[in-house]
Amino acid sequence: MKFFTVIPSKAKRSRGIPLKSPAVVPRDPSTSLGMTRGTALAFFFCIIFAITSSAFAQSDAQFTKANQEFAQGHFKEAISGYEALIRSGQWSANVFYDLGNAYFRTGDFGRAILNYERALALEQHHPEATANLQIARDEAHALEIQPSTLERYLQFASLNQYSIAAATAFWLAIFAMFALIFKQRRSARAIAVSICCLLVLVVAVYAIFTLERGSKGQALAVVTGKDVQARLATADTANSVLALPAGSEIKVLSTRGDWIYAALPNNLRGWIPAKNAERVRL
Amino acid sequence: MSSEVETSREFIRGLCRGFESLASRTSSAALQPRLRSEQRCEVALNMLQRIFITVFAVVAAVQFARADPPSVTAVLSNSQTVVGATLELQIKVTGPGDAQPPEEISVDGLEIHATGQSRQFEIHNFSTNSSVTYNYTILPLRPGRFTIPPQTVRAGGKLLRTPELILNVADAPGSSAGTRQSRGRQSQSVSAGDLFFAELIVPKKVAYVGEIVPVQIRMGFDPRVRPRLIEPPEITGQGFTAQKLQESGQTSETINGRPYDVVAYKTAIAAARAGKFEVGPVKAKAQVIVPRARSAPRSRGRSPFDLFDLDDPFSDPFFSNPFAQMGERREVDINSQPVALEVKPLPPNAPPSFSGAIGNFAMTTDAKPKSVQVGDPITVTSTISGRGNFDRVNAPAIEDERGWHKYPPSSKFKQDDEVGISGTKTFETVLSPNEKKQALPVLAFSYFDPAKEQYVTLRSESIAITVQGGAPATQNVAASQPASPSPAKAVAPQRTEKPQDILYQLTDRPAMAETFAPLYTRPVFWTVQLVPLLGLIGFAGWKIRRAKIDNREARRFAALQHETSELMHKLRRNAGSPQEYYAEASRVVRLKTALASGSGGIDPNVVDAETAADTFKLDTDSRDQLRRLFEQSDEWQYSGAHNGPATISPESRREVLELIKNLR
Repeated sequence: MKFFTVIPSKAKRSRGIPLKSPAVVPRDPSTSLGMTRGTALAFFFCIIFAITSSAFAQSDAQFTKANQEFAQGHFKEAISGYEALIRSGQWSANVFYDLGNAYFRTGDFGRAILNYERALALEQHHPEATANLQIARDEAHALEIQPSTLERYLQFASLNQYSIAAATAFWLAIFAMFALIFKQRRSARAIAVSICCLLVLVVAVYAIFTLERGSKGQALAVVTGKDVQARLATADTANSVLALPAGSEIKVLSTRGDWIYAALPNNLRGWIPAKNAERVRL
Repeated sequence: MSSEVETSREFIRGLCRGFESLASRTSSAALQPRLRSEQRCEVALNMLQRIFITVFAVVAAVQFARADPPSVTAVLSNSQTVVGATLELQIKVTGPGDAQPPEEISVDGLEIHATGQSRQFEIHNFSTNSSVTYNYTILPLRPGRFTIPPQTVRAGGKLLRTPELILNVADAPGSSAGTRQSRGRQSQSVSAGDLFFAELIVPKKVAYVGEIVPVQIRMGFDPRVRPRLIEPPEITGQGFTAQKLQESGQTSETINGRPYDVVAYKTAIAAARAGKFEVGPVKAKAQVIVPRARSAPRSRGRSPFDLFDLDDPFSDPFFSNPFAQMGERREVDINSQPVALEVKPLPPNAPPSFSGAIGNFAMTTDAKPKSVQVGDPITVTSTISGRGNFDRVNAPAIEDERGWHKYPPSSKFKQDDEVGISGTKTFETVLSPNEKKQALPVLAFSYFDPAKEQYVTLRSESIAITVQGGAPATQNVAASQPASPSPAKAVAPQRTEKPQDILYQLTDRPAMAETFAPLYTRPVFWTVQLVPLLGLIGFAGWKIRRAKIDNREARRFAALQHETSELMHKLRRNAGSPQEYYAEASRVVRLKTALASGSGGIDPNVVDAETAADTFKLDTDSRDQLRRLFEQSDEWQYSGAHNGPATISPESRREVLELIKNLR
């Protein structure tokens, strides 16, 4: 079954010439309401854009309101505003940074440090978050997990940069190897490119693995409770391993019920109540 | 070492002899002089000896270098006793090398005699640890408080000093040394004439709440009952906590003329509340071999153990001939008598730094580093050693925390005896100065001394430090006031420098929300990888197609060349008619043109004279010749008759062949 519709050709429509020989084109059976496929797509994108714009405008207003509350010294209201924004998934380094500032003003250094860390997890080079994080740590006397020397060197690039480097090196190596296979004569340049790209790939993958498991990796958490004691066992009466001031960094190793087994600063390990720490990465 | 070397020498010598005898049986080497063989053996022996000595020296040097420096501790088996009751003093020297213990310890009112020494070796992870324990017995001659002064022990080339020990001796009127009841212990034995007994020894009658009281349990068995302990001894009773029992040794003793194998256990108890308690009885369960029950009147002879014709169960024939009749293994309960203990409450008005420690302690303090910047950490190490309830010994309190930030301390306990009554507890507290300081704050540790019956507060000596940077120390009012008796913790640390302020708010926000997920975990990353993947597939397809095309072209080339060479061969043979000859000649020209066109891929069937001439860039004469050749070929092929002669002259053939040869 075939549907037909008569529409004027573009040129004639634009010139306003009356129709003499109408162009007959088959109508796409998938479109209804008499729209062509192009029109339907344009309509669809318009709707998506409108919804997105509306959502962004709404969250923008929320962000502005939270900033105003902060400026007026209403830090608790500002915190509520920023957290609502974060709950709706509108994550950005600046939102976490501003939320950290609000917590800092209320004296909750643990959560301030947590949110500065989150801002830095989203944007590795965020100078304001770096500066305020240092101030908050000094105030809270928070303990940090010291990265290994290798990890410190690998931190010159971010995880995403390593991912892009790994993907690029992988494809370059694959293309160079294909060229080697199909070429009748072995090219030294192609071999060198393949080896270099494979080396870059290995280094990038190793860097990703090391950073993900390292001190700033996916297991990084921050102590948000006050006077938290890391203990030898999952009991409040167990012997204390280390007292963790608010804002101290820990690395979550495993979770058992309401307790977290974590790697602590000073190369110690211990159990802390799960409610007293939050992971940096959401 | 020399004996080992000698053993090795003998071994090598034996090997040499073995080889020599073997050689004598298998070859003419048997004729060689025996002296030569001996010399070779001697050389091998000397070499082995040198290697052995070198290895031993290196290992010894490494072990010596790895070993910890020597240390010495001294501990009394009891800090309180009564006149006439002996107790034990142990001086333990840990570390490499020999030690020279004090030959004589003289304290007025105490008789102290050396009774022997024991040596222990431990190997942990390739590092050896040796210690020597020198034992002394002490017999108090009169009541009082005795101080055993620090003793000098030479170990590992160093002079070490033992800690000072305090011994309180109470009067025990009417007691005499030598009997079990007279040793100043509250002990009760259960049917001492029986095959087994248990006794509970509590050296004190009066203690304070929380005070650690050492307790000894002794269980004796007649050697012939071959006991097997099913349930270890347990101190029953309420109102006190007991530590884990530690077996302290086995001895053979004769009690009331009977031999016993005595197993001793040590533990410590601490009363939880004041009042009068009964400690014990000690209960245990064991399997012992007892004679079978006698059903008939006694008709046997007297046992050699039954000297006085008492009813000694071991006068049963079973014990004189175990195979005569079977004995009976029976499970028995072993109980001791309880011991009374009066527990007094601690006196009121405990000092602020008192955390429940009861005993006799000493404190030393050190700090590292001593030169820091404001805010830098200083590790203060406080060592509390002595005798008492170390589980209640907490870190010394800082008397004045102003200007300091204190981190929670860590602690480490090293016990000097089996039950942990005496030892050393080390605390490491990190302090961070908030301002310039000249000395560390005073640390205070309080405990209750049950001998003196009063609280004692130990204070650390002032440790000078240098703190640089930051704001200068301010003379605040609080600091100039006399020290407050209230605890230092009650005083909130006063901040003297203005805290650094945080940076401003940021009001801009990216249009797209960001995510914490690393790039490689996002779907878009893997979707993007489809682009190079498709490119790769396209590249591979193109390359394969190119290879196929190249292959087809090569085959076509080969066919054309083959045809050309065959036609040339025919033309040279001059075998055909003029019609065939010109047709083949023109065909060769077409083929050569097609071959010369290379990858242009000209079909030989469509090549004419002009195309061939252009391809080979011929001059005018050659071009005319080529035209004539094609015309003649066409003429012969399509007219059916030729205007010229019916045969081709040799000159014409030569011309044609030369023309074709020149097409390059």
